[in-house]
Amino acid sequence: MPYYSLGLEGSANKLGVGVIEHPLEKIAAHNHANVLSNVRDTYVTPPGEGFLPRDTARHHRNWVVRLIKQALQEANIRPDQLNCICFTQGPGMGAPLQSVVIAARTIAQMWDLPLVGVNHCIGHIEMGREITGATNPVVLYVSGGNTQVIAYSRQRYRIFGETLDIAVGNCLDRFARTLRIPNAPSPGYNIEQLAKKGRHLVELPYTVKGMDLSMSGILEYVDSLAHDLFQGKKNKQLIRADGSKVTVEDLCFSLQECIFAMLVEITERAMAHVGSREVLIVGGVGCNERLQEMMGMMAKDRNGSIYATDERFCIDNGIMIAHAGLLAFRTGTRTSLGQSVCTQRFRTDEVFVSWRDD
Amino acid sequence: MSSAIVAQAQSYLSGIPLDVISQGAEAVVFLTTVHPYLSGSMHPSDIQNSSKYIIKYRPPKTYRHEVLDKQLTKSRTAAEARLLSKLYTLEIPAPKLIALDAPHGMIWMEYLGFELPNGQISSLKNWLWYLEKQQEGNTTASIALADSVKQVLILVGQAIAKLHLQDIVHGDLTSSNILLEQKKEGLQPTLIDFGLSSYSPLAEDKAVDLYVLERALTSTHPVYSKTYNKWLLQGYEETYSKKTNNKRKYTEVSKRLEDVRLRGRKRSMLG
Ligand SMILES: Nc1ncnc2c1ncn2[C@@H]1O[C@H](COP(=O)(O)OP(=O)(O)OP(=O)(O)O)[C@@H](O)[C@H]1O
Ligand SMILES: [Mg+2]
Repeated sequence: MPYYSLGLEGSANKLGVGVIEHPLEKIAAHNHANVLSNVRDTYVTPPGEGFLPRDTARHHRNWVVRLIKQALQEANIRPDQLNCICFTQGPGMGAPLQSVVIAARTIAQMWDLPLVGVNHCIGHIEMGREITGATNPVVLYVSGGNTQVIAYSRQRYRIFGETLDIAVGNCLDRFARTLRIPNAPSPGYNIEQLAKKGRHLVELPYTVKGMDLSMSGILEYVDSLAHDLFQGKKNKQLIRADGSKVTVEDLCFSLQECIFAMLVEITERAMAHVGSREVLIVGGVGCNERLQEMMGMMAKDRNGSIYATDERFCIDNGIMIAHAGLLAFRTGTRTSLGQSVCTQRFRTDEVFVSWRDD
Repeated sequence: MSSAIVAQAQSYLSGIPLDVISQGAEAVVFLTTVHPYLSGSMHPSDIQNSSKYIIKYRPPKTYRHEVLDKQLTKSRTAAEARLLSKLYTLEIPAPKLIALDAPHGMIWMEYLGFELPNGQISSLKNWLWYLEKQQEGNTTASIALADSVKQVLILVGQAIAKLHLQDIVHGDLTSSNILLEQKKEGLQPTLIDFGLSSYSPLAEDKAVDLYVLERALTSTHPVYSKTYNKWLLQGYEETYSKKTNNKRKYTEVSKRLEDVRLRGRKRSMLG
């Protein structure tokens, strides 16, 4: 009989539940996992507003039972067929994490199943590797709360580069709030659509520090340009070369061009440093087509390859938690009730990767 | 590597032999036997290897916007050339600048380093990896943490301190960007790769410089990084402590380093 697990994710404003199937024997290119179901509901706030922990937690509590039922039904799996219940243990927002772990503990006790706590970032990495078939890539993990360049060595995912202040998704989301554009389906998606119509590049600070980067200064700068634009203030930066006025689309375009160039640069620096030719992009911002395109061009110049997934797996989801949790379960990991406390800060390199031995 | 990039470099340097030795994030580094302005049999005398030269070429990066690309390539090539000549006058070890071809984004410089027993370039990273590999399965001898390693890391710390005392921030300190040379006194580290360097009197910028290196060592050399970092900071402090009025500056940087580390640990993961 194959292995089955159910995964619960709710570290930010998405609640996701998924059921995965692992065939017997080691997971490999010819022996891959099967996604049986992967359902999600997103807590969306009005334009100009971010999501607050308490409201997000309430959203998750309201939806979690419905989503668990739906995931099992779509997978056509009964609770007694499951091997374990996997949940996101961190990093993320405290209150939403806690509302979901309560659901995980409850069903684990109801159905008498072991719990497996999963690091959210490891979930993204393992699902990305599984879906794309990338074996040992440098990973760019870009989401609302995280910006990291990661490579595997000696049974840990090591962080080679990261943001020194805010995450890239956070930077985009906050700019979307300044622009008061809708938060559905996601603020980053809407910035991407506006950026597609931008043509003129406004000069922004470019702040790469080796394999690390900083984005708070850029956000502050582009925010103030946007305010000047809305208030009709005179600003040389807001005049294009042909004398016409810079648009909101131009600002979105310039912000993306600047921070994505920085992301590609630090990823390439890490690839050169560790001697890798593969790059995998994971996390919500990884859906961005322009970022994927830029990364692809960089990889091509190195005779390398790029791997990326679509929104089903890029955006936070339950299936990645089910998958990474089941990998750990199969090598003996169990999280007792006493250990199942969630933690807002949980670094990627804290996890011992027992399921890899390369 | 993409052959188009090599072809492009070759088109600017027709007739000059080019051997690719590395492709970093910014530059392709070539080895050549031809000096840019001395004729065939003439070789400069004040250079380590007077028959081989490095050409560091920053090709256009197709992934980034043309305007941004031109501006970055221009400023980084200029920054690196300027820094190399400045370091020469300050007598801080660095490759000597031979020529700058700014429009093409090319810098000719002195070739440094030697080949490690495993055939690799003698960067600090390759050397430490080589020693760490030898250490595996050897419980009796201390290879990865030998005295020679301690000596080198202290010297690296001292070199960084010398930069910082001149208000120069390297901007990309990693174990790849430090080359080792074989000298009579033993292995001597030299800093390279100054494209991201800048001038700054701020303790914050110096602290970030150290933090970036500390993190790079932690991820690249996870087993021994604690000790490596300790030795490095020891060397750094030694150089600062030579003059009493620098001691205060050291305290400032080291306090800042604590802050930057703390910020790293406390950084919110929230959206
Ligand atoms: N002067 C030199 N002598 C010998 N080898 C050199 C010299 N300069 C560079 N190299 C070799 O080339 C490699 C890359 O050079 P460098 O670090 O200057 O550029 P880069 O890595 O492309 O830049 P970045 O780190 O910004 O991506 C070095 O790690 C080193 O192995
Ligand atoms: Mg380098």
